[in-house]
This record gives sequence, structure tokens and C-alpha cells, in this order.
Amino acid sequence: MLDPTSQLFDRYLDQPQTIPRDLRARLENACASESVQLYGLADLDSSLRLCQIWVALTANYFGIARTADRMIDEQIRVIERSRLTKVVEEPGLSCTVAHVLVSNEEHPFATIRYSHRQRQAVSHVLFAIQQQLEGEPAELIDNYRQSMVRPIKEAQASVNTSRLAIVWRLLGYLKPYRWQVTLGMTGASIMTLARLLPPLLTAHVIDDAIRPFQNGTLAASAAWQLALVLLAGLAATFVVQELAAWVRLRTMAVLGEHVARDLRTEMYDHLHRLSVSFFSSKQTGSIISRVGSDSDRIWDFIAFGVVELSLSFLLLIGLSIVLIALDFKLGLIMSLPLPLLLYLIYRNGKTMHGFFLRAWRKWSNLTDTLSDTVPGIRVVKAFDQAEHEKRRFEDRNESFTDECFRIHHVWTGFWPVLMLLVHLMTLLVWVFALPRLLSNGSADLTTGTFVAFLLYMGMYVYPIEIIGQMARLLNRALSSAHRIFDLLDTEPQLVETHRGIQLTPLQGLIDFRDVTFGYDRVRLTIKGISLRIEPGELIGLVGPSGSGKTTLINLLVRFYDPIGGEIRIDGVPLKELDIGSFRRQVGMVLQDPFLFHGTILENIRYGLQAASLSEVISAAQAANAHDFICRLPNGYDTVVGERGHTLSGGERQRVSIARAILHDPRILILDEATSSVDTETEHQIQEALNRLVAGRTVIAIAHRLSTLKRASRLLVVKDGRLAEQGTHLELLGLENGIYRKLHDMQLRLNEAHAV
Amino acid sequence: MNQLILTVDKAGRLRLHGENGPVLVRPIACFPWSSPGEYLSLRDTDDWEVALIREAQSLDTASRAALEQALAQASFVFEVNQIDSVEDELELRVWKVQTDQGPRTFQTKLDHWPHAINGEAMVVRDLAGDLYRIKPHSLDPKSKELFWAFRE
Repeated sequence: MLDPTSQLFDRYLDQPQTIPRDLRARLENACASESVQLYGLADLDSSLRLCQIWVALTANYFGIARTADRMIDEQIRVIERSRLTKVVEEPGLSCTVAHVLVSNEEHPFATIRYSHRQRQAVSHVLFAIQQQLEGEPAELIDNYRQSMVRPIKEAQASVNTSRLAIVWRLLGYLKPYRWQVTLGMTGASIMTLARLLPPLLTAHVIDDAIRPFQNGTLAASAAWQLALVLLAGLAATFVVQELAAWVRLRTMAVLGEHVARDLRTEMYDHLHRLSVSFFSSKQTGSIISRVGSDSDRIWDFIAFGVVELSLSFLLLIGLSIVLIALDFKLGLIMSLPLPLLLYLIYRNGKTMHGFFLRAWRKWSNLTDTLSDTVPGIRVVKAFDQAEHEKRRFEDRNESFTDECFRIHHVWTGFWPVLMLLVHLMTLLVWVFALPRLLSNGSADLTTGTFVAFLLYMGMYVYPIEIIGQMARLLNRALSSAHRIFDLLDTEPQLVETHRGIQLTPLQGLIDFRDVTFGYDRVRLTIKGISLRIEPGELIGLVGPSGSGKTTLINLLVRFYDPIGGEIRIDGVPLKELDIGSFRRQVGMVLQDPFLFHGTILENIRYGLQAASLSEVISAAQAANAHDFICRLPNGYDTVVGERGHTLSGGERQRVSIARAILHDPRILILDEATSSVDTETEHQIQEALNRLVAGRTVIAIAHRLSTLKRASRLLVVKDGRLAEQGTHLELLGLENGIYRKLHDMQLRLNEAHAV
Repeated sequence: MNQLILTVDKAGRLRLHGENGPVLVRPIACFPWSSPGEYLSLRDTDDWEVALIREAQSLDTASRAALEQALAQASFVFEVNQIDSVEDELELRVWKVQTDQGPRTFQTKLDHWPHAINGEAMVVRDLAGDLYRIKPHSLDPKSKELFWAFRE
């Protein structure tokens, strides 16, 4: 069986999965028999037509191999990597041009062109050359296939799953509720079959009681007796039918809720297992809608869709059998056009799809206007653009409504035509039945049978309508199920050790040993950093934006694992620690602290649910938060967070510090904790932080270097490397030092502000 | 302002000849869709602007030809001339098309729609970020029908 990547290639990408074997062999031959380690496809030629030009790296060679096509013969050119001097990439709208230069700038070894689809794979090849030129050879990890399918995987993770497989998997969630399913389906089947009885009983009343009485062949009392028995049967059928309907509706509705609940719980549990990288690659709204509205659609499908759809087919088949059994010829008139009717419904669905797409597109336009202007209403008002926005909205609203009119025009036209066809079938039945009904003596069709026929024909419409509507419900449910399974199938990137070592309490000794890391595994953000932080040390982490400070913190709390080197805590490799126990002893105070929707009390208690009220107050006092909390009308019971009371940035920060104090971490991380507040608030926060840091290992990131003067050591990070380290005064003493430059720059900036 | 002199070297790169000798530049259209032929920014290898050309017409013939050649690469998008199929799958819309550059299959998200540019053409962006220009009026009847749901 093909692996998922191969399946994606086969299905969606019209290009080879690997460099063709023969071509590779010839290329390697030209590269002194060295094997190709990294390659990509440049898919545009010099006249910007699609082609196949492979760019490849071996240990010592760079090669270009163009596969033969109608325009050109195969071409292979190679060069020793040591002779290359520069790589220049010029990105355009859909084509990047890259020049691979040798010493003579006028004559590059190669100029290649490629679309965005190929960009990542080709860029990796070029990046590896660049790194070598800078004296930092990169590890050659072949990622051609992965980079090609990544955009598709991100849009649709389990794309290789067929619709049928999704339905089966979804139905698998019914397994724990076998008896409810059996009960519900039995109820539904009884209800359907019971529907077939009344016309049959009616036929008997007419043929065996009314007609014989009218002909004088049956006595009045006998006719009454028979008619009453049949009527009682009819009444019993109705009761059974509705009882079965009740059982079915109740069971399946409850069952649907069970399945939706199970899916929601499974998804939420799984979300907490997933790595931070998953959350950075998916939009919050998309994750929330999977747990929320998608599971709701599944309920709809399980509660009604599954049963309605299967019963509609059951009813149609049952009706055809009964009609043919009642009267073969008339039965055929009703049953034979059935496939045609279903085909027409299918065709109509296809046509409607186009109309729905148009309406959906116009609806997106309309909601875009809303999502633009509602959050940006201040800008709209400030620039006096209300009229312009109103016109824009009206235009789009009008355009969407026009599409809705079109849809209504089409569907309202289709159903009467379809019903006309059903009525035509009824008329045909009449045409064929009348001569038989009106013929004297040889009446092979009784009035009762014919009346039953008419009643059955009336029942044809309902299942046809349901099948027409169900196609849409089924599609929506499948999309939702797909999104849910996509989330459930995402594997956590971090492998947690079972029964990891629990260090309680942590001493707080942090040891980075030649740690290397890159978010995409090729471009390194951290390049071989080694550092040792003793327990109780207060470390200041300094460096320009993008230098790798926050990445170091992400590695320390194990949001990601390094791709090289090792991190040890109290001498034990971080990977071997029980991650939960470790994180419980690490506290973070971030630049923009997040408060959950709930009371201030709940927020402070977040890391230690069992904390007493006096402990909470002590923590708040230490965090300089107690006073402002008491000034709020509801004190510690004030609801904050989303949709709650709005706290200022400084207030939220102090609540988060109180939370950290109560959490009592052994290792504390302060990430720009005071960067976005005014001087007075900063003073209060700084005071709170001074109390918080006592007796812990602290790593503080700060742009305002003045806040780090108390640090026992400052580490300066630049381009993913540890560039300088020492105390504030030691680093200031370094001639041309990075820290000294940053410090001088901030000093000048402060003086400029003072002026 | 002195007349700008532009040439293309043997490697196909654009060079601006100024007082300090030739400088390697690449052109960027400031308004690639609304006014592609105007306001062209010439960027050096560090991506700083060294000149802003308001109209390519203002250059001499040779320089204009050099600029247009370089601009063809920078402004390149796939030109769709025929649509073979557009299928909605779970979460994805799969387009099979013929372009001036050759046959191409690409995917978009279901709620990523082609958008109109300059009145007569529409542009759709695929999952990888490549752009496809479609001129609905110039399509054959079958392609027109397949594209009908996406045009204005």
C-alpha cells in the first residue's frame, strides 16, 4: 500500500515523486559517483514554460539535470561545490529566479527558475550551498517529497481517506451504543413497514366489506363486522407506527448526543496532548469550530441523517415490492421510472452545487465586510467612511441576495417538474387501470386494490424528497467528520517518556549542551548553544529581535525538542523527565499575560487549585495586586478575561505574577514582563518581581536593559549563538561588544526622549 | 533627472548603469495588478530601492526592452487558457487546467475564491502561493461553464 505522501503525489501533483532513477544515476556518475543527498525541482525554463530541471547536491558537487522533453535533449552539468561563490534568489509573483555564481559574476554557473510550489525544496538546496559558503555546512536532509505535499497536508491532513472510509469510521463511534442503535433502527424499520399496511387494509375494507355489501353478496351485519375488524387493525397500525416513530426519534436523538459528546471529549483530550507547533500552524477559530459546530453537525447526521436516508431507500424498495405484488403491470409503471427520478435528483444536486458555490462566494464577500468594519469601526468613523462602507455592504448584500433569488428560481422550478413526473406516473396508472376497472365481468383489478395503489403512490413523494435533501446533509457531515478526524489523527511531535523521572523538588540547575534547533529542521534558529545556569541564579537574556531568545525558552520548557545536543535539568536529560511534573515546577510571566474567563480568584489559583484564600491574598499582596483588586466592586470575585471585566495591561500582569507566586515555581521565566507598561506600573511590577525571583532560578528576557541590572549574569544571544556573557559591568567594558552597543543605543534614545 | 540606462547581462540579470558603474537590480511592479506598467521600483541586491520608474515608456528603447525582459520574470503568473475540471473534495478544490506554460493541477481551499483584477481577468492563488490568471471571456464554452460559479 502507498504511504500517505505517495498517495498525495499521485492524486494532486503532476510531477515525479523523486528524481528519476536513470537520471539520478547519470548525475551521480558525473559527480565522481557521489550519491545525491538533497535535491529539488526547478519547474520553469528560461522562456518560463513548465519543464523538469533537477538541482541536486552531493557531498562535494552541485549538479543540474534537465530531463529530455519535446523541446530539448537531456542535459547534465555539475560543478564542485568549492568553486561556487554566491547564491542570489530573486522572488517574483509566481516565479523565483536564482543565480548560482562562480567567481565570474558575469557568467553564473546556473540561473534557475521555479514556481512557489518548488520553492521550499529548491531553497533548501541553495541554502545548503549558502551555509557552506559561510563556513557553516548544514546537515543535508532530503525534504523534497515532504515540502511538496506540506501545503496540501496543512489544508487537508487525511486526504487519502475516501468518503466511504469516513462514514465507516464515524459509524464506528456507534459501537459502544449497540443496543440503542438496534432499538432505534428497529423502531425506524417498524415505523416504515407499518406505513405500508394502511393502504392494504383499506383495500380489504373496500373489496371484502363495502363492495360485496353493495353488490348484495354480503349481509349488512357481516359487512359491518368485517369492516370494524379491519378498522381496528388500521387503528392498531397507526398506534404501532407512531410508537415506533417515538422510540426511533428519542433513541437516535439521544444517541447522536452521546456520539457528539464522545467526539468532543476525545478531541479536547487530544488537543492537550498536541505540541505547541500544532497550535501555531492552525487558526484558533478552526480548532474551536471543530470541537463546536462540527460535532453538532455529526449529531444532526447520526440523529436524523443515517436513519432517514436508509429508511427512505427501504421505503422506496418496500413500495416497489408491494406495488408489483399487488398488480404486476401497474407496479412496473410506478417502479421502472424510479431510477430516472433518482438520477434527476442527482443531476439537480450537481446543478445546484454551482449555484450554492456562487452564493457562498457572495456570502463570504458580505461577511468579509462585517469582519473588516466591526473591529475597525474607530478607523471607519475617524476617516468618515461610514457612507462608503454602507454602500459597499449594500452592494454585496444585493449581490448575495441576487444569487439567492437564482437559487430559489432553480429549485422552486425543479421540484414541481419532478412532482409533475410523479403525477404523470399516477395518470399513466389511471390510463392503464381504467379499462380494467370498467370492463364487465372480467375485472382482474378490484376497486380496493386500485385505491390501495393510489394511496401507495402518494407515499412515493416523501422518500424522494428526503433523498434529495440528504445529499447535502451527508456532504456537510462528511466535511465535519473529516475535520474532526484530521485533528484526532495529528500526532504529537514530542515523544513523552512513559514513567518519566520526577524531580521533586527541582534544584533548578539548567544545562544546555551544544543545543541546535530550527523550526523547519533546516534553517537553524539555535546554533550549538552551551550554557550552564546554577540554581538560584538570575540570568538576563539579551539580544536583538529574532536572535533566538524566545526559542531558547521554548526549548527549556520543552514546547519543542532540540534537533541536536541536549538539555539537562539537575543533571537529568530533559527528555527523560516526566513533562507534567517538570512543568508544574516552572513558572512563566509573559509580556501579554493571558487571563482565563473566570474570577480573579480562579485565575490566581490556576496553578494551585487547593490554595487557601489567605494564601491567595498573600500572593496578590506580594504581586502588588491586592490593592487594585480590593478597589474592584466584586473584589477577588470579579470576572475577568474574555467577555469579563477589562483590566489594564499592568493589572493583568500583576494578577499573572500573583498566579506565578502561588504556583511557587523552582524555575521562573520572565519574558518581557515589563515592556508594555508605563513607568509607575513598571516600578510596581518590578517590585513584585523582585519578591518573586528570590530563591529561584530565573531567566529574564528584557528589551529595557536597565531592568536587568540586578541579574547575576547576562547572556547575549545573536543569530542563534551565545555571543557574550558576564555581568552588566563586565559586558559594558567590552570594546565593540554587542551589549555595550545596545546599551549605548538605549541610553541615547532615552536622552532623545528626555529632550 | 538623467536618463536611466538599463541592460541585461549574459546571465539575464538587469543592470542599472549609473555614475558609480553598473549595479545589479531587479524590478518590482508597485501595482502588479491595478497598473502593471507603471511605478516600477528597481531594487539592489540588498533589496533597497535605487530608482523608481514612473513609466517604462520614459526609457530609451534598449533600456525598455531590458526592463520588460526582467519584468516578465518578476511578474510571471500562470496564464490559464483552458479549464479541464474543477472538483470539490473534502476541504480542497482541485483544478486541472491548461496554461500557456503547460498543463497544471493545483489546489485551493474551498473558501479561497478567485478575485477580479482590472475588470476583465480573475486571479486565483493555490495552496503553495502560485497565482493563476484566468480571463473568463476568452475561455472555450466548456471552460466557461466550469468557471461560471467563480466569475462575477
